[in-house]
Amino acid sequence: MNLYVLSFGFGLITASILAIASVGFTLQFGVTNILNLAYGDVMTGCAFIAYLVTRAGGSLAEALLAGAASGALASYGLNRFVYTPFVRRGTRMFGMIIVTISVSLVLQNGLQGIFKATFFSLALPRPSSYTFAGMIFTSQQFVIIALAVVAMLFVHALLSWTKLGRAMRATAADPELARSCGIATDRVIDVAWLLSGALCGTAGVALALNVTSFTSTAGGQFLIPIIAAAVLGGVGHPYGAMVGAVVIGLSAELSAAVIPPSYKEVVAFLILIVVLLIRPQGIFAEVATQKEVVA
Amino acid sequence: MSSSMQFYISNLLVYLGVDVMACLGLNLQFGVAGLINLAFIVFQAAGAYTAAVLTLGPSTARGGFQSYILGAHLQFPLPWLAAAVVGGALSFVVGLIVLRRLRTDYQAMVMLVISLIATTVVTNATGLFNGSNGLALIPQPLESVLKLSPVGYQWFYVGLTFACTILVWVIVRRITGSPLGRTLRAVRDNDVAAASLGKNVTQLRLIAFVAGGAIAGLSGAILAQFISAWSPGSWLFPESFVYFSAVIVGGAGNNMGAVVGAALVPVAFLEATRYIPQFGYPGLVDALQWVVVGLLTLGVMWFRPRGVFPERTRRFARPPGSEPTHE
Repeated sequence: MNLYVLSFGFGLITASILAIASVGFTLQFGVTNILNLAYGDVMTGCAFIAYLVTRAGGSLAEALLAGAASGALASYGLNRFVYTPFVRRGTRMFGMIIVTISVSLVLQNGLQGIFKATFFSLALPRPSSYTFAGMIFTSQQFVIIALAVVAMLFVHALLSWTKLGRAMRATAADPELARSCGIATDRVIDVAWLLSGALCGTAGVALALNVTSFTSTAGGQFLIPIIAAAVLGGVGHPYGAMVGAVVIGLSAELSAAVIPPSYKEVVAFLILIVVLLIRPQGIFAEVATQKEVVA
Repeated sequence: MSSSMQFYISNLLVYLGVDVMACLGLNLQFGVAGLINLAFIVFQAAGAYTAAVLTLGPSTARGGFQSYILGAHLQFPLPWLAAAVVGGALSFVVGLIVLRRLRTDYQAMVMLVISLIATTVVTNATGLFNGSNGLALIPQPLESVLKLSPVGYQWFYVGLTFACTILVWVIVRRITGSPLGRTLRAVRDNDVAAASLGKNVTQLRLIAFVAGGAIAGLSGAILAQFISAWSPGSWLFPESFVYFSAVIVGGAGNNMGAVVGAALVPVAFLEATRYIPQFGYPGLVDALQWVVVGLLTLGVMWFRPRGVFPERTRRFARPPGSEPTHE
């Protein structure tokens, strides 16, 4: 029993990181319709920025801020200088998937070229551990969970109560109609990239914080669970992504208590595939069904 | 020609044949049928493992230093045929899951996930195909029968590979040039319109998927028996992208393009540059190679999005008196 409680604790942390990342991923996809497979590598880039900040004596808060800011800038820049020009040139969905994978390869291997293929860890003081209801957390892991909760509340508040959030939802649902209602969709799309990038950067730093060491492929590998969580929830649906993150994160860690831990991701992915067989549009279907990718 | 030069050239030619085959298979799926099979390399790997275990003999042989399932000593060309069958059968199963109900973008993502599941399972289930160490000492076809010199055998293998490549080329041409090929393109360009004309979209996609998967399996068998070893490191997810890159550079939807792309991207970039001197720290050249492949793909997508050999769109003369009523 104890083992399950302990695994549940691990699952909460994985789910937290996953929630931040997949909400960012899905938000951007919903608003812009670009399946950004370079997302994980932007995460890695932000983790490296955080690493440099901590090496220079920065605190965890500074590292997180730097990570979020660089993620926002990188995502914005990627869209502005790579993706949008391709879309304007008439690259369609098939092509855009290839474009984002190319960017992913360039980023990942560029980072590896710069930082070498070795292991890195954030230069932060060793965190103290706490036992909480049978689960063990470090102070840093509490930070991760708190970050996820804050990020989720923030996204929820933004989407439900602000004009910008409503504009984002309108753009996601029907860009043409949103434009004819006077919404500056280009501006909304820019904001979506910035916001998604900030979440991406935060998740990247959280990922680096949670593992003992990371490499230039860390984010790329984490992209798969992110996609699984986003698809599970119905791509483009932030609340779905939150649920998806919890399902994927918890099922992965809890299954590790029963079967060899190296299979924990496989279990999460199999859940994804089974759910998709039953509900091809993900758990939350309303947005996803109405929306076809630009093709 | 010195024998080391002959080895070098024959190596490249075998890689070329294998990559051309794989690109023709992927082009059928991606270029012609519009399926973004990001797990393409998994089907090549399936063929490679099939050929390996069907030639290695029982796993207790050689002191049982590697463990695997289904050990057998099948005569050439049975292992290659089996590899194609396994590649096709696995495609059929995956296709049934992925192609039936999912949207195209979901399909791409699920294929990516499947690629990762396959790598994780094969790496960790050591009893399956010897885990992350992979299979080694895979026997080469007819090597013990022919008794050729090492160089002679290299050239024999080149011939064997090219014979298969030509066979694949003929089969793929038959498919793409037939009404079936036209229907596949129609499904790719507008699946709703194709469905409304009574075409069974899922079945058509499944046909292209299985045919491509069988070709991938065959190419894997040829590759694994040539290098005599096969491990999860040979078929990580980015390897699928190399083939995508090749098909795009060559011209998606055009078989000639697939051949040229195979010669340009996997062979020229990844295989031939393996022989350039390493500089910097170990791994830098490999990392840069991938950066170049990524930039090359982006460049082609930007400057020549339809590739070096764009797909030819056929135009048919309209019968007189059947002008469209609206446009």
